[in-house]
Amino acid sequence: MLLEQIINGITLGSIYAIVALGFTLVFGVLGIINMAHGEIFMFGAFIGVTVTSTLGLPIWMAFLAAIAATAILGYLLEQFALRPLRGKKGVSHLAPLISTIGVSIFLENLSHHLFGAGNHPFKSSFAEIHYTIGSITIYLVQILIFVISVILMIALSYWLSKTKAGKALRATAENLETASILGVNTKQIITLTVIIASAMGGIAGILVGMAFNSVNPQMGLSIGLKGLAIIILGGMGNVKGAMAGGLILGLAETFIVAYGDSGYRDAIAFIAIIVILLIRPQGLFGKKTSEGRP
Amino acid sequence: MLGDLINPYYLQVGSFIMINIILGLSIYITLSSGQLSLGSAGFMGIGAYTSALLTINYDLPIIVGVIAGALVAGIIGILIGIPSLRLTGVYLAIATLGFGEVMRVFLVNWESVTKGSVGLSGIPQIGRELLKFSRDSGFSPMSIGLKNNQFVYLMVLLILVIINILLIWFLIRQNKSRVGRAFAAIKMDEKAAEAMGINITYYKVLSFAQGAILSGFAGALFAHVMGYISPADFSYHRAVDILIYAVFGGSEVIWGSIFGAAFMTLLPEVLRFISEYRYLIYGLVLVLMMAFRPQGIIDVPLLQKLHLTKRRSKHGSKN
Repeated sequence: MLLEQIINGITLGSIYAIVALGFTLVFGVLGIINMAHGEIFMFGAFIGVTVTSTLGLPIWMAFLAAIAATAILGYLLEQFALRPLRGKKGVSHLAPLISTIGVSIFLENLSHHLFGAGNHPFKSSFAEIHYTIGSITIYLVQILIFVISVILMIALSYWLSKTKAGKALRATAENLETASILGVNTKQIITLTVIIASAMGGIAGILVGMAFNSVNPQMGLSIGLKGLAIIILGGMGNVKGAMAGGLILGLAETFIVAYGDSGYRDAIAFIAIIVILLIRPQGLFGKKTSEGRP
Repeated sequence: MLGDLINPYYLQVGSFIMINIILGLSIYITLSSGQLSLGSAGFMGIGAYTSALLTINYDLPIIVGVIAGALVAGIIGILIGIPSLRLTGVYLAIATLGFGEVMRVFLVNWESVTKGSVGLSGIPQIGRELLKFSRDSGFSPMSIGLKNNQFVYLMVLLILVIINILLIWFLIRQNKSRVGRAFAAIKMDEKAAEAMGINITYYKVLSFAQGAILSGFAGALFAHVMGYISPADFSYHRAVDILIYAVFGGSEVIWGSIFGAAFMTLLPEVLRFISEYRYLIYGLVLVLMMAFRPQGIIDVPLLQKLHLTKRRSKHGSKN
């Protein structure tokens, strides 16, 4: 029983971690919180449903389609909602936040009109396949989700630390002006970051669709808000913090459903961030800033 | 005679505009010290539920309930505001957004008291109470040529208009006082304000708490005008609605959020056919406003222009 809950928690947590990585990449480079990330993620999930259930194509096609669609959404987001605000005089630091809230509201309601308001089941041919080891049941879907998440995290870490583009991205995150003086095409890097973050959101969307077997237009908001909670928990702009924070939240939610009151499941994330912000505002893995406040 | 001119529907839309203006003022007052709070829907919920539960369960008069609702929201605002001072900008926005969501989950789950997601019904309505009161004191709406429902809606609107005038008057006065100047200084540059000897902790909590009180007050009025509330009324979407009032109308001047609230409430009523696409349009409005006019429709230069063309413009150039 306990082991099964831990497995469930890790599955959920690895999805949360992928969502949070999308937030953290954009925050690390641009210093803004992309409130539309949850809705881009939701679009990815809907693309997955359309490809597998409506068109009856295999799941890997769904991944490709979702990655393509969300990458395009990310590009549009950067082009129309973020770029016009950059480098403009007298724009408050809250402007990008409000602008992305606008995009999120727009996308949520667009999907209402495109896909309908109700729940869409996510049919996959292997949903029922499971393995029993002793008293523990593990679903193939859970293994798949875990493996894909781990591969994504390793690939992202490798890309950020070892490749030239990753180095350029980290340089841009550290200081945009200096990076651009040193010859980094920061404009390109920013666009690339938003696109990669959005595509990761799209993958996470399909994983959530597979895990919960249901997709609806409101899921973007709830998962998006949890992703936000995780990056605060793990430390803003901190890749490792986002992964750890995702796992912590996933396990905490699974345990409260199993052993506590399941109604308060959605509140944990926010109670956690309120507590974290009060005790350790830089997050669990964040470095203390000189001012002592974020 | 008078009865033919008054359409209860318009009166009710008017009442909603008045309530939304109070909500617009609540986000204006927190923004005036440079803090973006997305928790106004949560505070609104606290006010609404407090007042509704007090009047339903303990038979208290509506006015006591409304004041209690505003005060409880204000107290919770102080409790949230003090620790939130460690946070600035987007962190504060997320923490308050989180607070709003926790409130909503709490309202849904605390079924024994709040009846969960079904919501509370049978809340005493301001209009009905007024009608009862006027009947008891021997006054009949018919004597001035009004039907009962016309009288009810008219009275509700009148009361809300008076409340709004008092609130706006108070806030304009405050803006021109020491407190208002302190808020503006903190908004411009917190460190410089601190160096000038302004107690920023006190003033930031004050502005946050004022916003909470106004949200709670508006929530309580909302409960007693509608007669029915549910947690869905105080969700993230409500917080976005309130944010739109300030962002669209203009967050620099008090008239901005008033205009924004009135305009955004009226728009879906006037353009019935767009109400289905309302949130799509809201989303676009937010993005476009940020790109082209981040200070909102009404800003200081516009007010000054109005002031020059109309000498007897009611509002000063600076608020």
